[in-house]
Amino acid sequence: MLLTCKINGEFISREIDPQKRLLDFLREDMGLTGVKEGCGEGECGACTVLLDNQAVTSCTVYAGQIMNREILTIEGLEKNGELHTLQKAFIENGAIQCGFCTPGMIMSCYALLQENPNPSRQEIRRAIEGNLCRCTGYEKIIKAVESVKGERK
Amino acid sequence: METLKYVGKPFVREDAFDKARGKTQYTCDRKIQGMLYGKLVLSEKAHASIQICTEKAEQVPGVVRIFTHKDVPEKKYNPHNWTAGTGVFEDMYILSEKARYVGDHLALVVGETREAVEEGAALVELHYEEEPAVIGYEAAREAGDHVAFEKEVKCGDFEHIQQEEVLEIETAGSTQAIHHGPIEPHIALADIDETGNLVVWTPCQTVFMVRYHICSLLDLPYTKVRVVKAVMGGSFGGKGLSVVEPACAFAAWTLRRPVMLYMDRPADITATRKRNPSCMTVRTLVTREGKILGRYIDSEFDGGAYYTNASAIAMAFSKKLFRLYRIPNQTVHAKTYYTNTTPGGSCRGYGSPQAHAVTEINLDQAAKKLQMDPCEFRLKNVVLPGDKDPSGGTDLGDARIKECILKGMEAFDWKNRREHIKEKDTDRYAWGIGMACGTHGNGYKGGYPDFTNVMMQIHPDGSAEVRIAVHDQGCGTVMTMQQIAAEALHMDVYRIKVPEADTFISPYDAAGTQASRVTYVCGRAVQKAGEQLLDKIKNACLALYGWEKEKQEALDGEIIYQGTEKKSYGEISIEYEKTFHRYLHTELEYEPEENPGVYCADFAEVKIDKYTGLVEVTDLLAVHDVGQCMNRTLSEGQVEGGAQMSLGQALFEEISYDKKGGVRSQNFSKYHMINAPEMPEVKSIFIENHHAQGPYGAKSLGEVVAVAPAPAVANAINFALGSCFTDYPITPEKIVDFLEKQSNR
Repeated sequence: MLLTCKINGEFISREIDPQKRLLDFLREDMGLTGVKEGCGEGECGACTVLLDNQAVTSCTVYAGQIMNREILTIEGLEKNGELHTLQKAFIENGAIQCGFCTPGMIMSCYALLQENPNPSRQEIRRAIEGNLCRCTGYEKIIKAVESVKGERK
Repeated sequence: METLKYVGKPFVREDAFDKARGKTQYTCDRKIQGMLYGKLVLSEKAHASIQICTEKAEQVPGVVRIFTHKDVPEKKYNPHNWTAGTGVFEDMYILSEKARYVGDHLALVVGETREAVEEGAALVELHYEEEPAVIGYEAAREAGDHVAFEKEVKCGDFEHIQQEEVLEIETAGSTQAIHHGPIEPHIALADIDETGNLVVWTPCQTVFMVRYHICSLLDLPYTKVRVVKAVMGGSFGGKGLSVVEPACAFAAWTLRRPVMLYMDRPADITATRKRNPSCMTVRTLVTREGKILGRYIDSEFDGGAYYTNASAIAMAFSKKLFRLYRIPNQTVHAKTYYTNTTPGGSCRGYGSPQAHAVTEINLDQAAKKLQMDPCEFRLKNVVLPGDKDPSGGTDLGDARIKECILKGMEAFDWKNRREHIKEKDTDRYAWGIGMACGTHGNGYKGGYPDFTNVMMQIHPDGSAEVRIAVHDQGCGTVMTMQQIAAEALHMDVYRIKVPEADTFISPYDAAGTQASRVTYVCGRAVQKAGEQLLDKIKNACLALYGWEKEKQEALDGEIIYQGTEKKSYGEISIEYEKTFHRYLHTELEYEPEENPGVYCADFAEVKIDKYTGLVEVTDLLAVHDVGQCMNRTLSEGQVEGGAQMSLGQALFEEISYDKKGGVRSQNFSKYHMINAPEMPEVKSIFIENHHAQGPYGAKSLGEVVAVAPAPAVANAINFALGSCFTDYPITPEKIVDFLEKQSNR
């Protein structure tokens, strides 16, 4: 099918296999390898992207489902070479160790802050409940999000 | 100790920048011209003779080649052997000739695309002739002839302790099979370079080990195989032994094309390595005053389908039990069985998470019987600085477990909370607090060769390069080395580059990034090399400018003479080369003199829902004897992450097998790792007493963090319910079952 959609702010129009997982489409066809695969069944959250501002696991979405919709991946957070405040907060707070869960984790947190710029600790924990991290114990990730509370975009 | 400028400070690690942007290239993100994909076909049966039919799979467009046992070298290896001299029994082929566990590597499908490989792998037909399968240590014990390794370690004479006025406390318990759970599954990429060398990029823990396996299996010279440590998405010991590297290298070498061999999560859980399940009976003899007189531990391990670490897990487990408490008479009997399950391998804590899981519950039971506070009871028995290991291991060094307990009691308000916690109980919720201690080592000294080499140089631009074979698993090892080098050289952390391990560029290292040896052993080597290089810089200044060495001061990458004249390291490097025809560099080989213990005491509070059996850990305090924190942020990160893993051991995680060896928990939906809402806030306290032999006083931290939270939680649950849970994980089912039985009484 001919897919038209918006990815990281750019309009895309191209022939695709609609049954390809969104994860594979983004990684292989679009070269957006920041999107990571950790389990392939929507349990680990490493492949989280935003679909019309909602955090989704791209391994459980078909590429065909994003027709005329908008996707934001980790690569789309930077503006003119400047990192998003949330990305900076992850770096400064020690929220990144091996980094494999990081892109998905940041996208889930970004989605939360879009909807709720002042989340409580409990709300932050809930927002990343679908993102597994084996390195950090989540504490520094929560701290990173807390540090940017209220700073919209 | 003079004031530290770089060590201990919360420097931000450099790799975090690209990781936050999604730009870091992990192995799965790489593409090489002409690259093929490879996927292993795994056994679905636990024990069977096999016949493999690849005809249909070969018809799939894009499938290039399917390898089976008949194609691979007739050579066995043991992926646990990290040097050619380790010499542990070899019983594994690159691809197996029969199925010995669900997940055994039976075939390798290589193709042009992932789609072709996936389709091909699904079409490989496996015909099994099943044989009886031995699943778990109980079945192995009954089968009788499955012992892979057996040994007794002892001190004193447990059997002849005077029994009068002595209490005996017996505890039987077990720990489960654990999946390491790195979010990046196993993967490797192999290619042949422009001069015909075989190059393998792998997120591994020991490049020299992977090189040894590949050279030995493919009969290639060491000089022709280059193993490069790739960016790693977590290991926790899971990537400590070779897993996919030999098959990947074999395929690339045979096909003369680049091959990326990848695994998915079910393969990662079933077909790699696991933390060895264990069971044990602990008998402790104590006086009425609370002095431990002796202990007898009878333990068994599930070693899995191949030998791998059968001896190592038993020995690592046994030896740690002599290094936490002063026990004059102790015997530890350990036995590892072959079973038809996933092979065992290194896993964060190596033996400690099993050893302390049950013995620490046993000690709480002893304290209860003595009507003594569990902390006070432990304080009467813990080792003290300068103690020897009564089993003949290395000295314990500056062992500060006593301070860990005392500091923890104070910070946790232990006595007060222990006395009043039950007042919070309601009809539905039961509350409890508990604590536990743990110990771990600092490398292999005393057991195996443990030495490393460093090459350090100052470039004309004033930057420094430190070549040492370290593998950053995500913990921040590289930043740790940068900070140590910065401290020794008195220069900016960020102007120091520490490339990770690469067999073509790194000087030889004996044991890899494992065994909690890197900060203590490699870090100390970097400190010494840095001091040596600084001395050389000062000598250069004496020779070049006639500056007396005693009047030179190193500061921020410059040598200042008598407080007025100064030269940057870059300038000195240029002028030294020009005048003396030498580069400003140094090399050294370092072997530690000792292998001290690290210690921890963890304190936990739990809230148990008696209706559902769910346990919530509401508070966790971890006190660690680290000698010196390398980087406060990174150190806390280790403690918090280690707690996540250990709490998972306490409450949820288990690779569970059915009677025929089928794996029930093949993905994260069934293998439950703790997520953010379930994770308590973890508080860290570090005892920084500066261990004389560590780099700037530091000892290890990365493994001991995953030891004590589990038994602390078990003790808290048992305190809350008056229960005696000793089998991990303590699931809601077990708790509800216990409560039901109690109410029926």
